[in-house]
Amino acid sequence: MERQVTAAAGRAAPGTPQRTSRGRRLTLLKVAAEPYLYLSPALILLSLVMFVPLVIGIGYAFQKLSLTDPFDRGWAGLDNFRTLAGDRHFWRALTNTLWWTMGSLFFQFFLGLGLALLLNRRFAGRRLVQALVFLPWAVPTFLSGLTWAWLFNPLIGPLPHWMAALGILSEPYNILADPDIAMWGPIAANVWFGIPFFAITLLAALQSIPKELYEAAAMDGATAWQMFTKITLSFLAPMIAITVLLRTIWIANFADLIFVMTGGGPANSTQIVASYIFTTAFRRLDFGYASAIAIVLLALLLAYALVLLSMRARLVRV
Amino acid sequence: MAEIELRNIAKSYGDVEVLRDVNLTFDDGEFVVLVGPSGCGKSTLLRMIAGLESITGGEIAIGGAVVNDRPPRDRDIAMVFQSYALYPHMNVARNMGFSLEIRKEDKALIRERVALAARTLGLSDLLERLPKELSGGQRQRVAMGRAIVRDPEAFLFDEPLSNLDAALRVEMRIEIARLHQELQATMVYVTHDQVEALTLADRIVVMNRGRIEQVGTPLELYESPANLFVATFIGSPKMNVVDCTADERGVHLPGGGIFCPEAWSPDFRPARLGVRPEHIDLTAGGQGDCCGWAEVVERLGSDTFVYVNVDDWGGMVARQSGNAPINPGDRVGLHFDPAQARLFDNAGTALYASETNRA
Ligand SMILES: Nc1ncnc2c1ncn2[C@@H]1O[C@H](COP(=O)(O)OP(=O)(O)O)[C@@H](O)[C@H]1O
Ligand SMILES: [Mg+2]
Repeated sequence: MERQVTAAAGRAAPGTPQRTSRGRRLTLLKVAAEPYLYLSPALILLSLVMFVPLVIGIGYAFQKLSLTDPFDRGWAGLDNFRTLAGDRHFWRALTNTLWWTMGSLFFQFFLGLGLALLLNRRFAGRRLVQALVFLPWAVPTFLSGLTWAWLFNPLIGPLPHWMAALGILSEPYNILADPDIAMWGPIAANVWFGIPFFAITLLAALQSIPKELYEAAAMDGATAWQMFTKITLSFLAPMIAITVLLRTIWIANFADLIFVMTGGGPANSTQIVASYIFTTAFRRLDFGYASAIAIVLLALLLAYALVLLSMRARLVRV
Repeated sequence: MAEIELRNIAKSYGDVEVLRDVNLTFDDGEFVVLVGPSGCGKSTLLRMIAGLESITGGEIAIGGAVVNDRPPRDRDIAMVFQSYALYPHMNVARNMGFSLEIRKEDKALIRERVALAARTLGLSDLLERLPKELSGGQRQRVAMGRAIVRDPEAFLFDEPLSNLDAALRVEMRIEIARLHQELQATMVYVTHDQVEALTLADRIVVMNRGRIEQVGTPLELYESPANLFVATFIGSPKMNVVDCTADERGVHLPGGGIFCPEAWSPDFRPARLGVRPEHIDLTAGGQGDCCGWAEVVERLGSDTFVYVNVDDWGGMVARQSGNAPINPGDRVGLHFDPAQARLFDNAGTALYASETNRA
């Protein structure tokens, strides 16, 4: 404050031009630096918890760092990535990740949207149902994974018998033990687990749509379907884009259910990239190779996020 | 264009009766204003005509056909909402053409109709804008444009001007009047503002607590109100109403005088006397039908409003044209115009001699 006053006074007095410009430059510097000073605790903390591990992790990917061979350490260059390109298990895991993510997301999204539309209507006991929808979230992942695994077990669970009765299965057996369809087990559990997220976020978006827009549309002659496509979906689009994005990344990295229900088996048929990273790092103790896989996954997800965010920018007009 | 008929309309929400015994006919091409205090059921009635509220009793017919069970889209009626209800994600052109888009009309035709309506409303330069990029008055115009693009059987307006500032309100009022002359369409207009009602309406429907108090032209309501509610609701400042006693000669005034309105009949037993401010003449000094002290004087240039504390009666407002030579604290005499003073019985019903025209 005092310096500003001095600078102003200096400007008024033409006899001291040098002092004026130096004073002004100092003031400018101070003004430019000030916000960063205030931000510095947050910036330092963020870089400590995010960037440092990230950089270290990226560093591992270019090193030989296997605890089973602790004396063979050192710079590996792109060796880990070259091995990765020819790693049959990795490609299998990548395909599985795609199935796991898309399958879970598809059902989570559409069932969640349907549930949100239902909950947006008035009916007796709506509040209770709304509260119950949260329930899957309150259950620990570990517990839901175990429960679903039991449900698929023909000795104690009803699902195989129901599926056999419906003709989906030829006889009641455990689908988690069949490499061809085992992935649908964790997907089913994940759908159950993830519906609330979509239901709740989409319901919030639905409730923010002004009621009179529907009345205006009714006056304009719109049918229920036209109202849904031309008003509801337009309003939901930004929320859909962001939730689908978040959810995809989250599901792609979400190996807990798989780990609990199948452990990646049988015969690696439910191994996804995230669980493969985990196995590589903590079972085979090869941290260098695990980091290389992680970086590939990160790059893929970043590319996906960029595509979706640019789509969102075009969608959002409100 | 079509006439709209309401027969014994009633509406309840659960146990709460909001409207009852509403019988009305809106003629083809007529501009009818529904006016009444807030909460009297105007919007509800309008929304029942639109098809946005269910009808719990009676019948609504449009162009002769009962439409009780028809959804809004089969009634061919346009509505302008108080909040405008523009689609925020569509530009002005798409907002205005939405009803045609819904009907899958030809794109060229939509563009042509929208352009025509936009020209009528002075929106031609704004067609690419989003609603959030418009001023209040422009949004209001878009809302009206959306209605006229369709060329519907009738237009409904629910307090369309109440979100605008005073100057814009006057401007849009004139715009709506012009639009009605141009389109010659049936229009039903809801407002709680009696100035809008008096200036726009061919006929006014005065509502109160879910019932119709009176239907008539603006002048009929002003000159021959059916009851105390209409008398005090129409006119600004309000009609002065004072409790009074009367015998066969006329109304007893404080100070011992007898006031006998023109439409007097000896068997009237009025309980209240009503005189509009513009029908009271003030003179300096203590001479007149009754006397009092001037308390507040408001000079508007064209008129002077004088708030008088009348002996034994209380406050009355008198409107004098021009700049009246009266100051606060003056003793004034009040002269009531016998042709314009109105009498009301105990229940508030206006008393008229049999030969006087009663709406
Ligand atoms: N959905 C509703 N449920 C219960 N009461 C309502 C509902 N809508 C309106 N009302 C009541 O109906 C009455 C008339 O409302 P409204 O038609 O909006 O009045 P106005 O438009 O004349 O101000 C009000 O007393 C209001 O409380
Ligand atoms: Mg209203």
